[in-house]
This record gives sequence, structure tokens and C-alpha cells, in this order.
Amino acid sequence: MTTLRLKTWPAVPLEAEAITPDRFVGKTSAEIEALPVHHGNQEAALGDFFAVSGDGTPDIAIEGDLARVKLIGAGMTQGQITVHGDAGMHLGAAMSGGRIGVHGNAGDWAGAEMRGGQIYIRGNAGHGLGGAYRGSPQGMNRGLIVVAGSAGNEVGSAMRRGVIVVGGNTGDFTGAFMIAGSILVFGNLGERAGAGMKRGSIITYQTPKLLPTFRYACTYRPVFLRLLLRELRSLGQEIAEEWFERRYRRYCGDLTAFGKGEILAWEGP
Amino acid sequence: MQIDHVVCAFCGCVCDDLTVTLEDGRVTGVKQACALGRAWLLGHSAEADQPPALIDGQPASLEEAVEVAAQILSQARYPLIYGLSSTYCEAQRQAVALADLLGATIDCCTSVCHGPSGIAMQVVGEPTCTLGEVKNRADLLIYWGSNPAESHPLHFARYAVTPKGLFIPRGRKDRTVVLVDVRPTASARAADIFLQIKPGRDFECLWALRALIRGLDLEESAVADTGLTLAQLQDLAGRMKSCRFGVLFVGQGLTQSRGKQMNTAAAFMLVRDLYAHTKFAVIPMRGHGNVTGIDNVLSWQTGYPFGVNFSRGYPRFNPGEFTAVDVLGRGEADAALIVASDPVATLPRVAARRLAQIPTVALDTHGSETTKVARVVITTAPAGISAEGTIYRMDNVPLRLRKFLPSPYPSDEEVLGRIVERVTQLRARN
Repeated sequence: MTTLRLKTWPAVPLEAEAITPDRFVGKTSAEIEALPVHHGNQEAALGDFFAVSGDGTPDIAIEGDLARVKLIGAGMTQGQITVHGDAGMHLGAAMSGGRIGVHGNAGDWAGAEMRGGQIYIRGNAGHGLGGAYRGSPQGMNRGLIVVAGSAGNEVGSAMRRGVIVVGGNTGDFTGAFMIAGSILVFGNLGERAGAGMKRGSIITYQTPKLLPTFRYACTYRPVFLRLLLRELRSLGQEIAEEWFERRYRRYCGDLTAFGKGEILAWEGP
Repeated sequence: MQIDHVVCAFCGCVCDDLTVTLEDGRVTGVKQACALGRAWLLGHSAEADQPPALIDGQPASLEEAVEVAAQILSQARYPLIYGLSSTYCEAQRQAVALADLLGATIDCCTSVCHGPSGIAMQVVGEPTCTLGEVKNRADLLIYWGSNPAESHPLHFARYAVTPKGLFIPRGRKDRTVVLVDVRPTASARAADIFLQIKPGRDFECLWALRALIRGLDLEESAVADTGLTLAQLQDLAGRMKSCRFGVLFVGQGLTQSRGKQMNTAAAFMLVRDLYAHTKFAVIPMRGHGNVTGIDNVLSWQTGYPFGVNFSRGYPRFNPGEFTAVDVLGRGEADAALIVASDPVATLPRVAARRLAQIPTVALDTHGSETTKVARVVITTAPAGISAEGTIYRMDNVPLRLRKFLPSPYPSDEEVLGRIVERVTQLRARN
């Protein structure tokens, strides 16, 4: 295990995409301290901000308030990062493998455009969780994001594949322009969910406020959902027994787009 | 002395047929202008009525102020350059060069007005036209969340509603004007149809219109919370499909209400959908002065219209991360250069407060809330009166601003050029 302890609070945003298991593997702690980071418009070394101890295995623990540290685990392909504190923007953005755990909140664009791997956030996530960057055609494409708390606007926007689970509430435009994939929201689903979605599933356990371009289709027990819920339960997510048993109302949309998407609303106990 | 064909740089209309009277080096008369343009032009004089610069509130020379400004900016790790809406393109170009040199974040007033339109454009594209086409062809005009009667007073008479055009021989009689807003504004008097929607329900209205234009049947209950009836929406959709040339003007009521860039994206998509039926265009009602110009300058120099960050040596764009309200509100910017804008008066309080906490350099033609908190203030000549250059009208048509009154103050372009020069020297030394 390699441990980073924040020793100097960055006065301006610190861009630290060097914090990935891929870059740490096989390096001594001195070599890891020498890895480059960007402190505002100046180059610096990881060791200027973090005390590094450990052996360069692909298992990283970070301690401290990292709300201003951006791009932790961005683009990572393997290994594990555990953040004991808040994480800054772009956590795990474009990652394709490995696992990130945050014992705190994550900033905006966590898991944006990720291609695989898993992100677990104990606290809240910001806007654009698993979403697409501005002007980008696709958001998350494979992988799993689990947020215990709430998330901001545009969760899973233009998402292509993968699963996002939000234990709390989501903001507006959850799954907007989604192409495929699944988003489960156990708290309140924000307004305008699924706006412009082509395919994919948004699953809610409250009565959703739907756009005029979603239409009721049927009430049934989706088989895939039971498998998905069971899988999430095996990963440690709390899943109520009645979510397996009761039926779901299916609304199809968005009819201004392809119309093959769905919002599944649990019928209630 | 009378000067004809003066171009007004106050709002996005950029009217180019003003006549200005000068007496004893002072503007004493303005013809053809609206109340806003007249108030802006009147009273400008060739005399020095303010010190050339202030440092910590004390009068200073231009040279001293440029030196302190260059020192502040070159020592900063996350400097912000903001504003640039009420100056001309050549000065804006210098500001972009400075941002590149400093590794700064550069943002303009677009990010708090029509930035969402810029984001929507990147996703949908912008099916647009010039105001000349509006005048000559448009038989259906829809104003959404915009109040031109008060924000662009000559817009109706010069460009859109009343003028006779090539294919609109009878002018006003040949056009239908629709206003969509959350309350009846002064512009409602100019409209044939006023549709009052519920605040924050623009997206639902636009989405319902898209569905109707695509031929989907909607239930009355599906549009219940828009504030409009299904019949009203069907009537509007019918007018949109059956017009010869329609134009949707989108204002800040759309871009700055709940949904923001999704609202404008919905508007742009609606116009795109209408191409299956007729010719339609969308024009954002850009506000003051040359805010359209800074979008153009930033786009041709960096590829992005606003919220551009150079801290890694190359331009990056991410609204929410590199926009002024956010870098100030999160307390990230450690120095700021404000050009031709008054963010302390216009940005959210938390962002304005940050400008007072960090060393701020302000370039402006007159005192403002921002110059009150700035460490360094440099007085510059007003663009379009005492400085000449290029300005972009709200439909992206460039026009040439004239200088008709001498000024004791340097132009924004000159001051920014001197700061660029000094920062370059400081960089070379280190």
C-alpha cells in the first residue's frame, strides 16, 4: 500500500492526474514524490503537497481534505485508490479499470466519460456524475458508480453504457440525452429526467415528475432489474426486499428522440 | 460640429446611423439613437476628469499602474481575466494574448448571459441568420424570455418588427409577433400574441412544442404545469410550421432560468426540427456592446467562446470549472484583471467579495463598483467614442467603431498591450 498524506493545502487548484496506480507501480516513495503535478499555472512535484510512504504497489490510500485536488485517478486502468476525505473535480474521469473509494464527498464530473472500473462515494457527488463533458457526444461508457448520498444535475448525461446508483436524490436532467445504460435513484429523482434519452433505463422508487414526451406503457416486473438489484446487493448496496417483489410502471421516451428509453417507477409497497 | 454615421457600441443592436453633435470637445447632441444610446453618448468630453490611474486609491501615473499590474498578474498562480464585453476586438485580442502568456483563466460576460447558448450550440449547432434576413424575410417573430422594448429599444423598429423588407412589402402588417415570457413586459405591447408561462417552465414548454411539431398527441394534463393550455401550444406550433420564414429570438429569461443550457438546447432543437416544415432561425438576443465580439475573438484564437483556461499552457474549456463566477466563488482565483465590465455590481455576492479580497486590476472608462475595490485602476478611452476598432453586432456581423472625440486616456488595446509587454519582460528575467 502506498499512502499519501496531504501536508500542504494547495492555495489554488492542484491538478494531480499523476495520482493513479498506473503511475505508482514499481516506484519508490522518492520517485512517487517526484511525479509532476500542476499547481495553478506552475509545475510542481507531488512531494510538495503530499508526504508519501509505501512501496509502489497499485493500492493507494490518500488522507486529507482533497476538495481542491482535481483528476485523482483520472484515466486509471488498474489498482485501487481510497480517499479518506473529500475529493476534487474529475475524480476517476475517463478511467477504464480499477476501483476508487471516497470516504467523503466528490466534486463535479466524478467518473465523467469513464470507460470501465468502479467508483464508490460514501458522501455526495457533484454535477455531471458519469456524464459527458461539454460538447462531447458520449458520457460514461461501461463501469459502475455508486453514490451513497445525493448527486447534482446531469447525472449520467449522454451515458452510453454502465450503471450509476444514487442512494439519495439527484438534481435536474438525470440521464439527459442518455444513449444506453442504467441509472438507479433511491431518493428523489430530479426534474426532467431522461430528457432526450434514446435508450437506457432510469429506475426510481418515488413517483416521478415526467416530461410531456414520456408515455405510460405497462406495469410489470422487469427481469433484468431483479438481476441488477441482486448484483448490487452482492456488492454491498442496501436493497429492500420489496423492490424485488413489487411491480414497476414503465414509461417510454423520450419521444422527441428515439423513444426506446424507459423510466421505471416502482409501484410502491 | 456634426458627425454622421456614428456606430453605437452600447447594446447588441450596434445601430450604425447615429448623428452626434460636438461642441467645445463635448458631446451635446445625439440623433437617431434610443434612450440608452443617447444617455451613454451624451456628456462625454475630451477633457481629463479623472486621474489616469489609481494605485490603492491614490492617483498614479499610467506607467506606475502598468508596472504594478504586471507585477500582480505575473506573480499570480491562478489569475482571472474577466469582462471584455464593452471594448473592441483588437483590445480583446490583447487580453487573450495576456491570458496565454500568464497561464490565466479568461472569461467574459457571456458566461453570465448567453453562455448557455454557446454550450447548446456545441451540442446542437446553431441554425441562425443575420438581422438583414429577419428584416427582409421573416413573417413570424417569436421572442422568448426577452424584452427588447427595454433592453434593445431600436430592435423592433430597425431590424425586426416594423421595417418593410424585400419579401415583407407591408412591414408590420406582414408579420406575426409572439412574446413568450413569465410576465407581460413592455414588449408585450408590440406583440400580436402574448403567452405567459410559469417561471422556470421554459424547458417543458419547448419540449411540448417539439413533440407537437413532430406530430405527437399530447394530453392536456401533460402540459398542465407549463402555464399554457394545450390549445395555445398547438396554435403556436401550427404557426411555426406554416410560416414562410420564422425567427426565434432567445433572451436571458431562457438562458438564466432553471435548465439554462438545456433550455437553449431545447430551443435550438426546436428550430432544427422545424426545418422539416419551413425555414426557421434562432438568434440569441445578445446584450451589451461587444459581448458577441469577445465570443468571436476567443473562438478564433482558442476554439472556445468563453471560460477558457490556459494554466497548462494550452486552452481548455469547461463552464462550471473555468467560468468567472465559479473560480471566484470557490475562492480559487488569486488575482484578477477586469476589463470594461463591472463584475462587483453584477456577479453573485460571493464572487464579488472574492474580487475585493485578491489584488484586482480594473480597466474602465469611469468609476464603478469594481474600481472601488480594485487595487489598481487604469482609466481608458471609451470604445466607439474615443477609441476605434471592430465590434460584432448580436447576429455576428462585424462593424467598425469610429473615434470622433479625442481622449486624454489611452485605449484598452494600448494599456493591455503595455501590460503584455511588461509581463513578457518579467517572464524573460525569471
